[in-house]
Amino acid sequence: MKIGLFIPCYVDTLYPEVGVSTFRLLKSLGLDVDYPERQTCCGQPMGNAGFEHMAVPLAEKFDQLFAPYDYVVAPSASCAAYVRCFHPNLLKEHRCETASKTMDLVEFLHDVVKVTSLPARFPHKVSVHNSCHGVRELGLSSPSERNIPPYNKVRDLLRLVEGIEVVEPERPDECCGFGGMFSIEEQAVSRRMGIDKVKRHIATGAEYVTGPDSSCLMHMQGIAEKEQLPIRFIHIAQILTAI
Amino acid sequence: MTLHSQRAETYQQKPEVVERHDKTFFGVREKRDRMAKALPEWEDLRKAADQIKRHTVTHLADYLEQFERQATANGVHVHWAIDAAEYNQIVYDILSSHQVKKVVKSKSMLTEECHLNENLEQHGIEVVETDLGERILQMMKLAPSHIVMPALHVHREEIGDTFRQQGLMEHIGTSKDSGVSANPDDPNDPTYLTYVARMHLRQQFMEADAGMTGANFGIAETGDVVVCTNEGNADMSTSIPKLHIVSMGIEKLIPNYQAMGVFQRLLARCGTGQETTVYTSHFRGPRPGGEMHIVLVDNGRSQILGNPEHWQTLKCMRCGACMNTCPVYRRSAGYSYTYFIPGPIGINLGMLRDAKQYSDNVSACSLCCSCDNVCPVKVDLSTQIYRWRQQLDSLGKASPMKKAMSQGMTFLFKHPAVYHGAVWISPVVNWLPAPLIQQKLNPWAYAHQMMKFPQKSFHELWNKELKNEK
Amino acid sequence: MSNTKETILSRLRDNVRETYDMPDLGALPPITYADPVAEFKQRTTTTAGAHLIEMVSDGDLNEAIRQAYPDAKIIASNLPGVEAQLNPDTATVAELERVDVGVIEGKIGVAENACVWIPQQMKEKAICFASQQLVIVLREADIVNNMHEAYARIASTPSYFEPYKFGTFICGPSKTADIESALVYGAQAARGVTIVTLRDKDGKLPNTSYQVH
Repeated sequence: MKIGLFIPCYVDTLYPEVGVSTFRLLKSLGLDVDYPERQTCCGQPMGNAGFEHMAVPLAEKFDQLFAPYDYVVAPSASCAAYVRCFHPNLLKEHRCETASKTMDLVEFLHDVVKVTSLPARFPHKVSVHNSCHGVRELGLSSPSERNIPPYNKVRDLLRLVEGIEVVEPERPDECCGFGGMFSIEEQAVSRRMGIDKVKRHIATGAEYVTGPDSSCLMHMQGIAEKEQLPIRFIHIAQILTAI
Repeated sequence: MTLHSQRAETYQQKPEVVERHDKTFFGVREKRDRMAKALPEWEDLRKAADQIKRHTVTHLADYLEQFERQATANGVHVHWAIDAAEYNQIVYDILSSHQVKKVVKSKSMLTEECHLNENLEQHGIEVVETDLGERILQMMKLAPSHIVMPALHVHREEIGDTFRQQGLMEHIGTSKDSGVSANPDDPNDPTYLTYVARMHLRQQFMEADAGMTGANFGIAETGDVVVCTNEGNADMSTSIPKLHIVSMGIEKLIPNYQAMGVFQRLLARCGTGQETTVYTSHFRGPRPGGEMHIVLVDNGRSQILGNPEHWQTLKCMRCGACMNTCPVYRRSAGYSYTYFIPGPIGINLGMLRDAKQYSDNVSACSLCCSCDNVCPVKVDLSTQIYRWRQQLDSLGKASPMKKAMSQGMTFLFKHPAVYHGAVWISPVVNWLPAPLIQQKLNPWAYAHQMMKFPQKSFHELWNKELKNEK
Repeated sequence: MSNTKETILSRLRDNVRETYDMPDLGALPPITYADPVAEFKQRTTTTAGAHLIEMVSDGDLNEAIRQAYPDAKIIASNLPGVEAQLNPDTATVAELERVDVGVIEGKIGVAENACVWIPQQMKEKAICFASQQLVIVLREADIVNNMHEAYARIASTPSYFEPYKFGTFICGPSKTADIESALVYGAQAARGVTIVTLRDKDGKLPNTSYQVH
């Protein structure tokens, strides 16, 4: 099974350690992992901002670059969701090869690899950040709006970590207010959503907020630091590889 | 900056007001969730509602004809209005031919859409809103801030002051004297104020020459108009005056009673988190000795049907659930939006009304997709907002900043060598003094501490170290 | 006007891109209860906010109403045997607006939401809404599980809309939460509702008109 590692642009530049953890985690599971070096961005920022046509060449390139792999795995739920849900529509000219095999790290580990044990240890209390696109586009957990049997793939994986205490905030899947360029165009509301979300995470008594999406974590971390709200942020890949 | 984002920023100046608004409407969302989870068949009901509406709106001409035939056979006068102007004229003609001076009216978003009240008032006809929230707003000369709970943003002190200014307490006395208050020490006790409004509205019902209602549903098979309220104001408006005029958007039709069962069960559960509204009234014909008119209003709906990306907004039954769950609506409130219907459905309906005029609301969405999951008829609300954003540039309404950023990013990402070069210099940003970064030109700094760029990107780490671990 | 109608209809027909079939609603499994009557009664006194009087079918309804509303001066009803000062078949709306207690009959009770189906069986339906207090008499045998069952019954009973072309589901007293979300009973219509459930004395289902002594 050949895995193409998709490290989205902002993870590449801002959170390389998340990429490293993802790579090492997949390697440790005995998988053949490769990183196509000419990758950049899935095009989501432009699409969500209203310039989908600018995302088309990026989607085309993404599709070519990752076509040879059995699975494309990304440590960023919303980027994986953009490829899965939006690329087919962008590539109207030809069949999109990669959309259906692109997965977020959590769903790949949970649904494909089906990991049942990990050597990780993280003796801390962590609050799970259920990212919107992870929940409502990729189905990483049961959306709080729906009447379906409850599940949470993020929690399932964290349960494998020794010493960890996992909690979820009140309003467990309300948006943190990032939304790409939403955070810039609607900065006042975005800020307010971020503050509310961080405070709910803090109210759990957790030391860390974790989740499958570095973009939400980046937004909340920026707000928490500016507002001096005491909590730390860590991507799930880093917890799953912690020893 | 869009008008929505500017108004929303002003709204943030009072964090306690924002918090109260957010909690009020999230509370309604939680009540809805409890309703959804109490019915094992919930998701099947939503699916059925979606399918029924898809079927009905794509067979709407046939159902409208059937509805008109039935209603006419029931002794109802049916009128057709292509737009707001024709609708207003029809209503005015009916009222003036009956020498109507005062109309009592239950809540109807369609009449807001068509500006009926202003129109009738210009002709010297007094229009009295009878939904308590709407009546409060009418007295305060304010617009609704929500389609189902229109006045929850107004505080009871303001309501009490308004009622006192209008002299409504004259025969009732103060909260303490009235004998009805839940808390007699509160001069603006909600139970007391509701009683004051009750007595005031009773008089209005008795004085009115005509009653107007909207329609939650029209049943093609029988010609019934179904109106759902909690206060009973639609029933009071139609039990006392002899003339009843129904204003109904053509998309309100459903085929039959079987379908009615599905929608009756969903409407209140989604809208207010109740198992049912207190009253679900089926009007099939005029009162004894009275007259009933139904005005079927198009006002752009038949054109929406032809819009491949947005026709599904016609499935909407105006329950308001998408507003209650929307994290942006809850923190910016109705008046931040430029269209009279706020929230996810309002963003879309505003664009369909006039894309150039109402494009300012398209920014009011973080694409969290919560609305898609509460919608009882599965309107693809967030996808539609995403689609509208794609059209803003051609409408000349795109944000220049977002466009420049998108173009910059696209250039960077289309050229991997340039991109990785840019990434290589990004650590330099860490060394710039904070005041230089935390300035107005950097929109990220508005809410965030600037992020620290690491010494090496993943790309570099891959090249230097990880590649060899393979 | 007929021109407008034709324009609207032709636009609708021209603008349909693809059509969808009506789903088979028989496939929907709506909620049912082991004891719908108990469910109905429980919701009547909780979520609906109504009072409940349980009677056997030959009980004394007038006595029950007197006990429930000892101060009532004007009672209105057209039900046979109910002692009333006003009859909605003959009274004016202005008279009915001053009624203390209206006594009417419900034809279907719905367990899932405590709604009672009230077809208009009086000339002036104002009695159902304008009365300060409303008493609704309902046979236990007429309680169904859910709205689907209720609507199926209504659809198969054309007499509910004869001779008067109106029917309503009522669930407890008139309510509002328009002022700061505070729930208040008695917004515009009835301030209080009492549901009188009738059970046949012998446990048999009463199938004709109930007895009132």
